[in-house]
Amino acid sequence: MIEIIILGRGGQGAQTAGNLLAQAFFAMGRQVQTFATYGGARRGTPVMSSLRVDDGPIRLRCNIVQADALLCFDDSLLDADFLALARPGARIVVNSPRTSQDLTGTGPHRIIPVDGRAIARRNDMGKVVNSALLGGFVAALGQPDIDTMCRIIEQSAPARKAENVAACREAHDLMAAIAEEA
Amino acid sequence: MNAPVLNEDMRLMNGNHAVAWGVRLAVPDVAPLYPITPQTPILEKLIEFQSQGQFKAELLTPESEHSAMAGCIAASALGARVFTATSSQGLLLMHELLHYAAGARMPIVMFNVNRTPAAPWGFWPDQIDSLSQRDTGWVQLYTENPQDSLDTVIQAFRIAESAGLPVMVNHDAFYVSHSVEPVSLPSADLVQSYLPRQAREIKLDTTIGRSVGAPVDQVQWNRTRREMQIAMAGIADLTVQAGQDWAALTGRKSAPLEFYKTEGAEIVLVTMGSMTGTARDAVDRLRADGVKAGLLKLRLFRPLPLADLRAALARFGTALVLDRNYSPGTGGVLHQEIKAALFGMDDAPGLHGLLAGVGGVSVPVETLEALAREHLGAPTSPDPIWVE
Repeated sequence: MIEIIILGRGGQGAQTAGNLLAQAFFAMGRQVQTFATYGGARRGTPVMSSLRVDDGPIRLRCNIVQADALLCFDDSLLDADFLALARPGARIVVNSPRTSQDLTGTGPHRIIPVDGRAIARRNDMGKVVNSALLGGFVAALGQPDIDTMCRIIEQSAPARKAENVAACREAHDLMAAIAEEA
Repeated sequence: MNAPVLNEDMRLMNGNHAVAWGVRLAVPDVAPLYPITPQTPILEKLIEFQSQGQFKAELLTPESEHSAMAGCIAASALGARVFTATSSQGLLLMHELLHYAAGARMPIVMFNVNRTPAAPWGFWPDQIDSLSQRDTGWVQLYTENPQDSLDTVIQAFRIAESAGLPVMVNHDAFYVSHSVEPVSLPSADLVQSYLPRQAREIKLDTTIGRSVGAPVDQVQWNRTRREMQIAMAGIADLTVQAGQDWAALTGRKSAPLEFYKTEGAEIVLVTMGSMTGTARDAVDRLRADGVKAGLLKLRLFRPLPLADLRAALARFGTALVLDRNYSPGTGGVLHQEIKAALFGMDDAPGLHGLLAGVGGVSVPVETLEALAREHLGAPTSPDPIWVE
């Protein structure tokens, strides 16, 4: 089983990102379970989305204690509580213009930054970063397949379909190049 | 029931949308609804279906849950098939009319999303909202995953309309209501054949001079409760039949009590709602390690299937009751109910009441596994134990 946690602020699309990622894994024949927990949900407050992926039925109904991969929509949320949810060796992708060296200073984990804001802007997506972050995250995780991910984004995006797909693919390709170097 | 096996008929949806699909397929005539977190996606999906012309029920959106239930009673009294949904504060605001609906024998189906009541404010999975309505005369069923919720809400119409009693189906906030996973949708024809319209005994008709719920004397009121007892006594069999007929059509089994790996079990976990899924994994881990553990899922809570529960529990040395609720001054409601159910039994199991997940606290599989090891054959106490 792969366990994934996505953390963002209400309105950024963390819950949507969890759903899109689940759909991509599901389209590849995997079993999925994704759920978000939030309180009095309002824009700006932290929202956590959890995703489990497995080959068989998923029956667990509890929070993820140690995630295999984490995606953080906002580097201001990258604190010790969040990093404690990472299994040793987990992949942590964070939306940040900072460098990997700057971010690894916060703990013993290897943190991979994706400048989602810059990629979104380059692709005429304004402040909407979730397609770019999904592309980067998929590259860091090595799955699901990027073409499947892009197809799901294209089907689901309510507007700017081509721009969403382009942002996803650009982030993926940038990250894949970095992964090859490392 | 187990999580569904993946096949090409599966669609990804959350538990609340699975309920909305079940309701759409059950084709109610009237649906009075008021939004509340975390029930709102049920209402939103039904409105979406209505806007697409796929849901023809009269959707009423009054100013409160109390009025929503008043609308349910009035529509049901005219013979309509009626659905509503709510959660927590909303269910509690309906409380007065829950008694009315049951006393007037209205076969309303309600879906409640289990959520902590205030104070303090919370939005978390906890079953005290519906368990505190146990004396209102509603049948209560609890489901463990989105597929179970879809299947059970459809079965609830059959049970309600056969018994002339209202039925409340419950699932836990977030862990089921907002959990997106593969769900198999039955066809509209299949559900229509499963849910034929039944002639109603108690029904208002403008051509016949008649009242429903009019003032009565003491003896007449007393008689209504005796009649409700008779109706309640038939619910377990109706639930069994509803489950068997559904399984014949869909292959998915369900029953008032469900068992998982209880053959030769020395310890059994007793669960209700979403924790059942985690407990299945805990049982697998314990069995793999040589601990003879099993699971008893209570799907029908009201009326409690007493005879079957006693017969089932007599087979085990130790029973751990897991309560995701807390009744101040007593403990877990399910623990209380099962203690009472075991009254006078010589071969009752050693019973332990564990307050696990109260307030929506996450209960990981490792915790359930450790609890089972710790309590296997341990001395019992009537008092509840808070799980850390």
